[in-house]
Amino acid sequence: MGLLTDEARAWAQEPFDPYEVTISATDIARYARAIGETDPVFFDADAARAAGYGDVVAPPYFPYTIRMQAANLRDRSDLEPDGSSSEDVPPVETTRAMAGETKIEMGVPIVAGDTITLEKEIIDLYEKSGRSGDLVFVVQAFTFKNQRMELVMREEFTRIYR
Amino acid sequence: MKVDVGTEIPTMERVPDAIDLFTFSASAWLLHRIHYDLPFTTEHDGHPGLLVHGPLQGTYMIQAVQWWLGTSAEMRSISYRHSSPAYLGDSLRCGGTITEIDEGAGTFSAELWVKKSDDTGDEVVTTSGVATFRLPTS
Repeated sequence: MGLLTDEARAWAQEPFDPYEVTISATDIARYARAIGETDPVFFDADAARAAGYGDVVAPPYFPYTIRMQAANLRDRSDLEPDGSSSEDVPPVETTRAMAGETKIEMGVPIVAGDTITLEKEIIDLYEKSGRSGDLVFVVQAFTFKNQRMELVMREEFTRIYR
Repeated sequence: MKVDVGTEIPTMERVPDAIDLFTFSASAWLLHRIHYDLPFTTEHDGHPGLLVHGPLQGTYMIQAVQWWLGTSAEMRSISYRHSSPAYLGDSLRCGGTITEIDEGAGTFSAELWVKKSDDTGDEVVTTSGVATFRLPTS
């Protein structure tokens, strides 16, 4: 124990700028193809409208792609050697990262043409002793809203550093 | 499709290959090397192979339900955690059990899991969680 310094605790308090992006049918199609979806509601506007959506609809966990690009679609100097966004890496003496717990609450679906605003904050930062040494847990909260300020998704994601 | 407490979700098998890992990383602009850079993953992180993304396994759990009941079984919430790594080439089985029906809210809850067989043939849970979906309309 003792990985968490005052510097790390201060880091967790720093605010993030909101990230805004307009979602295209192509963005949705890329993700839907990546996860193996075949339902036409994800690819064809007419099929989506027949199912009651305004345009092609995104699969449920599509907002994940928004938070990843918000963190990673930036200059190489803002990335760690392992490819992680430096913004997400706490100033602690660890070298490896892995995914921890994910908690998601869904709001309204995303359809093509929506403009999504992402707000991100660190809601917890703690350390534990594990089998392979000390671990640092960073819990991030992501809130996605559309252009009508309707909640699209809220996600709490824990990243573990060792 | 009738959904009852205790109903088993049909097991979906997925064997994510290099294209699956690449397109998932690319669609999210996810740059973490442990999903595409094998020398880095073995030498730096000490893993025997490239890792299947945690969120991709979470997605498989959602799909186990929606590929069975259809997209009208809209997901309302999900929580999951990872207990063992899944590697490129692993055969992943995704399934679960319906645990609760809430007719008033029009939703059902399920326990979900992703499993693989380890080197000795024993079944290992890689990811598990709980989720709530809308009752399907058809």
